[in-house]
Amino acid sequence: MTVLKSIWAHAQGRYALIVLSAWVLIAFVSLLWTPHSLWATDGYHVWAAPSADHWLGTDGTGADVFSWLMAGSRTNLLIVVLTIGVSAVIGLLLIAAMVSSAAMLSGVTVVAVDALISIPTVLIALILAVPMDASIAVIVIACGLGYGLNLARVARPQALLAARSDYAEAARAAGVSPLRVLVSHIVPNALPTMSVQLSLSAGTAVLAESGLTYLGIGVPSGVPSWGHSLATSVKFINVYPLTVLWPGLIVTCVVVALNLFGDALREAADPVANPLLRQAQVRQAQPMEAAVVQPQSEQVVSQPPQPKQVRP
Amino acid sequence: MSMASMRFLLRRLALFAVALVVISVLVFVALRILPGDVASVMAGHDSPPERVAALRMQLGLDRPLTQQYVDWAVALLHGNFGVSMLTGRTISEQVGARALVTFPLIVMGLAVALLIGIPLGCASCLAKSERVRGLFHLVAIIGGSIPALWGGLLLILLLGKGIGLVGLFPSQGFPQDGWAAFPQAVASLALPALAVGIIVGAGLMRYTRAALEELMTSSAIDMAMSCGMTRTRAMLTVGLRLAMPQLVSVIGLTFAEMITGVMVIENLFDLPGLGEGLITDVGNRDLIAVQGELFMLAAFFLTIGLAVDLLHRALDPRLNDGEGRGL
Repeated sequence: MTVLKSIWAHAQGRYALIVLSAWVLIAFVSLLWTPHSLWATDGYHVWAAPSADHWLGTDGTGADVFSWLMAGSRTNLLIVVLTIGVSAVIGLLLIAAMVSSAAMLSGVTVVAVDALISIPTVLIALILAVPMDASIAVIVIACGLGYGLNLARVARPQALLAARSDYAEAARAAGVSPLRVLVSHIVPNALPTMSVQLSLSAGTAVLAESGLTYLGIGVPSGVPSWGHSLATSVKFINVYPLTVLWPGLIVTCVVVALNLFGDALREAADPVANPLLRQAQVRQAQPMEAAVVQPQSEQVVSQPPQPKQVRP
Repeated sequence: MSMASMRFLLRRLALFAVALVVISVLVFVALRILPGDVASVMAGHDSPPERVAALRMQLGLDRPLTQQYVDWAVALLHGNFGVSMLTGRTISEQVGARALVTFPLIVMGLAVALLIGIPLGCASCLAKSERVRGLFHLVAIIGGSIPALWGGLLLILLLGKGIGLVGLFPSQGFPQDGWAAFPQAVASLALPALAVGIIVGAGLMRYTRAALEELMTSSAIDMAMSCGMTRTRAMLTVGLRLAMPQLVSVIGLTFAEMITGVMVIENLFDLPGLGEGLITDVGNRDLIAVQGELFMLAAFFLTIGLAVDLLHRALDPRLNDGEGRGL
């Protein structure tokens, strides 16, 4: 909550929050209502200019461009949420392997991540598209895999620092299981870096959707998405150049918002840079400290880590 | 060459070899184990089972998988990437012809990106007023958020011959004679290179800014300034030199990424490049070609990664600590 408030305090963060909540809102509204049905074609009014009835005009089958874009927002939201989920899971698993005390496992993981990271997402998507054809799953798996590797690589230093810290050592010495140490000490330390990276990845996922869909290995035809709207209008650019403006404009605005959100989050989630967050953490930590007085080892180790030190 | 760099080189080469093997296995497995094997996909959806079986035998797919993999790997080691099922040409030949379009495109795009990214990145870090710095940063974010497809379209609408407001460059196709028709070939790559360059340049701008900003408070800059340089001059001479290894790494990896990154642009501008070719082969289910091309591309990415690492080290002697391990 404090983090959101701090993001809202910056003009750029505010833009990001407004665009992103509008996106979510429109996606849900489009489930119940769009100005016109997606499949209402009208042979007499193809490529119509924007009017009171069709706010952004119509496409080559006379379907309403605005309605398709509205419906597209839910497909893109779904793709982004799934991609972020998959990459977060993959990233966490890789981080867990990288900081594990088994030297063999961590060594192999580091090498594997370094080697696989140079393989671009499009290539993975192409490999997947051979047996799977165009589908949302291709985008989600390819992007989730690529961004998960990236996430692990970016968050590794922080996670490693926490894993080698005195408090993690103390927890292990007190007999806390490795899983518990990971969840309550290592992950919270890597979380700010991870969420920033995930927010940037979300932007890349929106861009990847439009690219892959255009190449015919992303969202299958007939399913509304921004990439789909962009790709269909491309074919008629010679004749009706204006229709192509809208989907691209929306994608650009949303991706800018996700990037600015990541930037704002970087500052807001860092206790060193954000005094509001520091205060909130101190307030939260006080009742915990009272609990430490009672000699209950369980509660001592579950205490959240102190605000990160500035330098290792 | 010192003992330490020697050890680093050996270690890095070993990693490269292992990665190459891993990638070849991945490509092989992806095209064999996933549902619908090469033969049935190639034969089409509702072809009779006998036909699929015959094709499978002809392609040697009835042999055990390990045997197939070993045969393929041995052929790869001899530089034999196979023959396309559709065109009958060897994969290497096919890739070579396409690379003649893609590589010039990438080089031109990268040139544009460098011309945009480095100076603007410096400016967005060194501008006097905070507002101007913020504005530059915003420009970089917006530039990096434009879908390649849309950026290319806007450029066509702006500068494309026949469509655009100012008809400067052709917006479709590559000359039939290839590079024999040099001026036409360059002209047909101008718009795509510009589209790629602007988007990549925006990313480069952010990297330059981040790298310089990190150095802003370093003691090297303090030293240069105490020797009488202004902050700007110190950043542009000492700072840029210090940021160079990092930037060269980013540029190298960007170069590799662009090979598939320009896929959409190649498709939009109808250029017969590598990415466009790969998409066509996937669409045509020319799986022998896809397998060879995917491996070739992946191997190329790994090679660039290796080259970038070695170059990074050569440019930044600080990385050579006593034990020859990267920091």
